[in-house]
Amino acid sequence: MLITVIDGVALGVLLFTIALGLSLVFGVMDVLNLAHGVLFLGGTYVAVAVLGDGGGSIATLVLAALVALVAGALAGAGLSLVTRPISARGHLDQALLTLGIAFVGADLLSQAFGNEVRSVSPPAALASSVGIAGGSYPVYRLLVIVVGLLLAVAAWYVVERTRVGALVQATVADAPMVRALGVNTTRLVTGVFAAGAALAAFGGVLGAPIISASPGVDTRVLILGLVVVVIGGLGSVSGALVGALLIGQAETLGVSLLPTYASFLTFGTMALVLLLRPAGLLASGRTA
Amino acid sequence: MTRPQTPLALAGLAALLALTACGGGSLGSDEPAGSAAADSSPVDIGLLVPTSGVYAPLGEDMANGFRLYLTQKAGKLGGRTVNLQTVDEGESPDTGVPGAQRLIQQEVDAVVGIVNSATALGVRDAFEEAQVPLIVANAGADAITGERRSDYVWRTSFSNGGVASALGPHAAETCTSAFLMASDYAAGKEAVAGFERSFTGAGGKVAGKVLSPFGTTTNYQPFLAQATSSGADCVYSFFAGAEAVAFTRQYRELGLKPTLLASGFQTEGGVLTAAGQAAVGIETSLHYSDQLDNPRNREFVTAYRAAYNEPPTVYAVQAYDAAQVLDKALAGAADGPAVVKGLQQVGTVDSPRGSFTFDEGHGPKQAYYLRTVEQKDGALVNAVRSELTGS
Repeated sequence: MLITVIDGVALGVLLFTIALGLSLVFGVMDVLNLAHGVLFLGGTYVAVAVLGDGGGSIATLVLAALVALVAGALAGAGLSLVTRPISARGHLDQALLTLGIAFVGADLLSQAFGNEVRSVSPPAALASSVGIAGGSYPVYRLLVIVVGLLLAVAAWYVVERTRVGALVQATVADAPMVRALGVNTTRLVTGVFAAGAALAAFGGVLGAPIISASPGVDTRVLILGLVVVVIGGLGSVSGALVGALLIGQAETLGVSLLPTYASFLTFGTMALVLLLRPAGLLASGRTA
Repeated sequence: MTRPQTPLALAGLAALLALTACGGGSLGSDEPAGSAAADSSPVDIGLLVPTSGVYAPLGEDMANGFRLYLTQKAGKLGGRTVNLQTVDEGESPDTGVPGAQRLIQQEVDAVVGIVNSATALGVRDAFEEAQVPLIVANAGADAITGERRSDYVWRTSFSNGGVASALGPHAAETCTSAFLMASDYAAGKEAVAGFERSFTGAGGKVAGKVLSPFGTTTNYQPFLAQATSSGADCVYSFFAGAEAVAFTRQYRELGLKPTLLASGFQTEGGVLTAAGQAAVGIETSLHYSDQLDNPRNREFVTAYRAAYNEPPTVYAVQAYDAAQVLDKALAGAADGPAVVKGLQQVGTVDSPRGSFTFDEGHGPKQAYYLRTVEQKDGALVNAVRSELTGS
């Protein structure tokens, strides 16, 4: 049971890497980005290309993470560029555009890497298991938990405690005023987009040894990411974390306790939260 | 947009995406193959296999197997030049059924393929009404053949229950109790039921079973935790594609002790390559392995490797045999009913899997093999241990 709970945390922090970007871009910038799942999928393929299935070293894992961060940031900047002209045209147009980009991206990835499942081994040094509470648990998943939680703290610090974070929040509250103060808001929006995308691609690398890379992963994580954002509330770092950890537990502990209802637990949790707190558990009061 | 509505809209979107995630895929373009040499009576064959979506790797193997036979016969089946039309089956009946209907409308003489069981069951009546013979070269639902058979639907592949139940008696020799795990869809349920029937029939005890949501499960830890706590000394599993890879790897990563048994699809082709070392030692039942040591198979494997530079899979053999069967049935047959008559008189099919005949239900009456995943010459293979009896 303890192992199942720990595993829920590992899944939760992976979901957090996807949900945070979605939440910030949608909640803070008011842009609905359905291409977010493809960024995660791209990250898993970066892991396939760099790390491979041969049990690379920790250094190659770090290299893969850096490549994914850079590629993700570039892709995010590109996405912010193409969504800018239609940013005033409502969520449906944004959804259509980014969904189209997602399809094209997923097809390009399947052209490049094939439709076969491509799995990734964790670095040899982390491929072992440790004994916890009478069972064994992979060391790599423990590392995922540590990295994910560090990431959460860092993201919270940047958004809530730094000047850049304050500017982001100010832009949301009153963009013309921030511009009048001499701040380049366009660059700020691009920056948030790039950071969110980089985080999703990073999550892809981190999750590749657990989830494997194959067509279809993108929609699956996008759906879970949207559920997390709905549960946690828009535009809030702590909301994304709480929502991700909650869904992580629903998908592991919940499934283990109620296997018959496994298919309904995730959406059941979402429905319950919507009934009790329609704006999400920790919705920030600042969203537009 | 007011704030409370936004999460609701998002929630609706998430649900919508979840519903449509299993759709996708589209009709592919026509692809005439085989030389268009002048022949008095050319024949149009539809190849309905997935070229997009999660089953695309299977579709590719099936197309390869079918084309190999065609090439070996200089582009002719039953002495008649073949116009091959490939249509994408996609992932689900949403795309597969319209694909089949399109081929029927184009008045093809026979259709080969179909990976998805729901598609195969959904198009049954259409083929019967149009009097077009369909050779199912993969879909494993028990109901496609057997009691509810159609004169026009034949199968060169397998039934889910048949593959799984072949493994039961062997499992009962080595394990006292087994835990059963499968994807929660028709194929998984049929496989679990088939295994349970023959396993308990041979004196084995079922310690428990669990079905994981199909197509959405990536983490098997909570399910595997139940297998561990059940105290079973064997685990039987049925997973395919990406799920098979994830399941197999996580089974090893989480260090489960019970012997892992499975239906052979879990260690076939690209899935085995992707699972890698984690698959070593899995015992499976299937009606084919490229390691089978018979002259027909050695010749087939050599030809297949020469053509496609990879070892053949069971999917390739099923389509190859569908071509063989049509080769016999098409000779001199002017219309659908005549082809069916030819199919009824096919007799013994000299397949790389070992020869088989059609049973009364139009399914293959064939041998199943016990296979173990082993390392051989730097690659993972399904070594054949023995022929399984009593299925």
